[in-house]
Amino acid sequence: MLMLKLLQAAASGVVTGCIYAMIALSVVIIYKATEIVNFAGGELVMVGAWLGLLLVGYFGLPRPVMLLAVPVVLFVLGAAFDRLALGRIARRRPSRRLEHATLVVATIGLSNLLKGAVRGIPYTQEVRRLPPLIGGAPIFVGDVVLERQDLAIVALAAVVMLALWAFFRYTLPGKALRATSQNARAAALVGIPVAGMRMSVWGLAASLSGLAGVMLAPKLLLTPDMGDVVTLAFAAAIIGGFTSLPGCVVGGAILGIMQNLVGTFIAPQAIAVTPFFVIMLVLLLRPQGLFGDTVGVRRV
Amino acid sequence: MLEVSGLSAAYGAVAALEDVHLRVAGDQVVCLLGANGAGKTTTLNCISGIVPVRRGRVLFEGEDVTNRLPEQIVRRGVVQVPEGREIFPRLSVEDNLRLGGWTQRRHRSWRDDLARVHDLFPRLRERAHQPAGTLSGGEQQMLMVGRALMARPRLLMFDEPSLGLSPLLVRQLFAIIARIHRAGLPILLVEQNARIALAASAYGYILENGEITLHGPADRLAADARVRHAYLGG
Ligand SMILES: Nc1ncnc2c1ncn2[C@@H]1O[C@H](COP(=O)(O)OP(=O)(O)OP(=O)(O)O)[C@@H](O)[C@H]1O
Ligand SMILES: [Mg+2]
Repeated sequence: MLMLKLLQAAASGVVTGCIYAMIALSVVIIYKATEIVNFAGGELVMVGAWLGLLLVGYFGLPRPVMLLAVPVVLFVLGAAFDRLALGRIARRRPSRRLEHATLVVATIGLSNLLKGAVRGIPYTQEVRRLPPLIGGAPIFVGDVVLERQDLAIVALAAVVMLALWAFFRYTLPGKALRATSQNARAAALVGIPVAGMRMSVWGLAASLSGLAGVMLAPKLLLTPDMGDVVTLAFAAAIIGGFTSLPGCVVGGAILGIMQNLVGTFIAPQAIAVTPFFVIMLVLLLRPQGLFGDTVGVRRV
Repeated sequence: MLEVSGLSAAYGAVAALEDVHLRVAGDQVVCLLGANGAGKTTTLNCISGIVPVRRGRVLFEGEDVTNRLPEQIVRRGVVQVPEGREIFPRLSVEDNLRLGGWTQRRHRSWRDDLARVHDLFPRLRERAHQPAGTLSGGEQQMLMVGRALMARPRLLMFDEPSLGLSPLLVRQLFAIIARIHRAGLPILLVEQNARIALAASAYGYILENGEITLHGPADRLAADARVRHAYLGG
């Protein structure tokens, strides 16, 4: 019985963990490319969720079409934000320190803008829920119950994350993005369009967040404030070291599983504080996070 | 070929270059000498589109390329080997080279270019799959030269290539620069090491506090009393 509960909690944890991991990846690829912490990461998730619901629930589009449309629209949104807001601020170039602070504040602005915009749409006035991505009876593995939709979420997340990994590791544009984040000056000197690269990173990150929103939407009530889930993605990223992509995946999984274990074995009310305990534990044992660079961490 | 005229640049309110003129003709090695902080790197970065030009013009092959984007300038064939260790440390040596050919990526010939670079620097072939950050300082310098060649340059600019290299490596590097030049590439060479730079060049410019104070054929400069005093140690 205990074993079953444990396995069941772990299985549910992996599902939410995948979603945290995707949002964390979105935040971390922007951070790695631009050193900007994107405080609008959660609102991009929220917009993705609402857009998915709108396309399926209001316009009646088939789900596979929605699953393609949401990342495409979010890519454009993310890239446009970089081009229109961040690019402009960077071109003014007040001073490096000031510029960086301004850029981070701009992401907070985006967060409020998106929340306000979604609140302004009449369709969002009612609390809604996206119907399951796929229906059908749950599947039993031994005595562990697995919802088909959860399996679909994990499969989709796995495909997306593998594709992302392969893109960064094996394609020339992926390598150019990594090069730009390792040494932007050198990238400019070899003729890599640095501004375009930054724009693509924002687009890519926004699509990841949007997809995560679609995956999260059937499990949660949709509200304009659902972007708060980003706190958990930050936690996942910090556990993983904040600059490591595998770290995001492992951090997300650890967090999802821990939350479910705590909810099952301790108390549901304790779920909310779990991330902070996990973060403190990890940072005490490994200040640079599980996969973080040791450079940049100063021991006092 | 390359013609810089009336070039001025500043960092904020601080002027770095004032009315700089220089030319590199079609088949020359030209050097730009000066002490620390004279503005040598700034000059190259203005040409490369990294630092904005306040006044003046940069012409390359008769075309005005002033304040173009860096990628447009590289695509025109003006490629810089920067000062210091400006590599992509966590990408492999081979990926660093391939990214050097970023502007040429649509051409099928990048493999031939890579083979040529490997022939010039066999060490880079041996080290192809290790992270570039694990190379020695000298090897990283070679990597930056190889990376610049991958862009199919029509003019190559070196920023203090001798910095931090042992005398033996400096000699090897300048032998390679001479070889690249003999293959038909004009070169703009920035150096503090005036002796070796003047020996390698046909023409030279002296930059002091952001202004060109002296220029002439390299042998004439090497014989000039002021140059001997300030840059050749007597
Ligand atoms: N990013 C920058 N911001 C502010 N001032 C700068 C910057 N880069 C260079 N400078 C200043 O501009 C002047 C010229 O610098 P530059 O780097 O061009 O000199 P250099 O001739 O290349 O010197 P070195 O031989 O030491 O490399 C110096 O006074 C330097 O302090
Ligand atoms: Mg310099």
